[in-house]
Amino acid sequence: MRKLLFLFVLMALMLVAAPVYAQSAAAAAPVNWAVPIAAGIGMAIASGLCALGQGKATASAAEALARNPGARPGIQLALILGLALIESLALYTLVIIFAKVK
Amino acid sequence: MPEQLWFTQLLNQHLAGVVTPLLQRIGFVPRYPEAPISNFVAMELLVFLILIVFFVLVRARLSVDRPGGLQHIMEAVEGFVNNQSEEIIGHHSEGFTPFLVVLGLFILIGNLIGLVPGFESPTASGSVPLGCAILTFFYYNFHGIRKQGLLKYLKHFTGPMPALAPLMLPIELFSHGARVLSLTLRLYANMFAGDMVTLVFMSLIPVLVPVVFLGLHIFVSLLQAYIFVLLTTVYLAGAVAEEH
Repeated sequence: MRKLLFLFVLMALMLVAAPVYAQSAAAAAPVNWAVPIAAGIGMAIASGLCALGQGKATASAAEALARNPGARPGIQLALILGLALIESLALYTLVIIFAKVK
Repeated sequence: MPEQLWFTQLLNQHLAGVVTPLLQRIGFVPRYPEAPISNFVAMELLVFLILIVFFVLVRARLSVDRPGGLQHIMEAVEGFVNNQSEEIIGHHSEGFTPFLVVLGLFILIGNLIGLVPGFESPTASGSVPLGCAILTFFYYNFHGIRKQGLLKYLKHFTGPMPALAPLMLPIELFSHGARVLSLTLRLYANMFAGDMVTLVFMSLIPVLVPVVFLGLHIFVSLLQAYIFVLLTTVYLAGAVAEEH
């Protein structure tokens, strides 16, 4: 009985996946074939470099916290601020992709 | 007829007859005259109403010797913002707390309301973060000019030495404009990307994986509201700071 219930819930959830049905058949126009490829590569480079920067920031913050646990508020503030600023650089790339890729 | 949320439809049914002539008199012609209020405007109004009700309830239930739950929440929020602005701006920072608290609460509730089915985040559209960023820009410039006078405030843009002024002035002006852009884009891109990622994973694996991304979206909503208020505090500190 419980397995049947699980199966029905699974089927009901599968039917909710509307966005994939709305995907039109992608016929690559000869002029714009490189745009999706460039978008993917650009986003990958942006995310990779952002991850490197955030890794360095987190490593510095962890080391500073280990050296001086009493300075935790200041280190935490600098860490959060730095991570958010670096993250926003990768998100600018995402916005450009959404603006340029149709 | 555009696709509307139920709240937008409710507003448009009752107010379209009033709003469309007003807009046309100013010169804007709405694309669908029977639905001039778009989704994000309706959601913004809803967040505004929620905030007004919350503040009125807090004010009505204020008590010194028996504070209730709402008073505790409001005191916690206000104490947090006050401590932070005192840490960053220094003395005389209590005047900025109301604006920062309201900005933070508006962005927070605006972000989180998108998680409720039947509503969408007003901050996931491009215009609402832009409005908040422009408001912040005018606010910190106004307080900088009020505190230090117009000429002394503009002298900040020229940098430490007068010889560097022709180089520093365009850089500083551009960087101040970039602040508005970055505040807008950070909030908009985070909320929009959260929606997109949830949508993509919902169409790939509808079963349990989108819950993880919705959890990430909740964390990002809280963090982005905090970051917006934090950056506003930092810009305020830069504007009203006085060199000793």
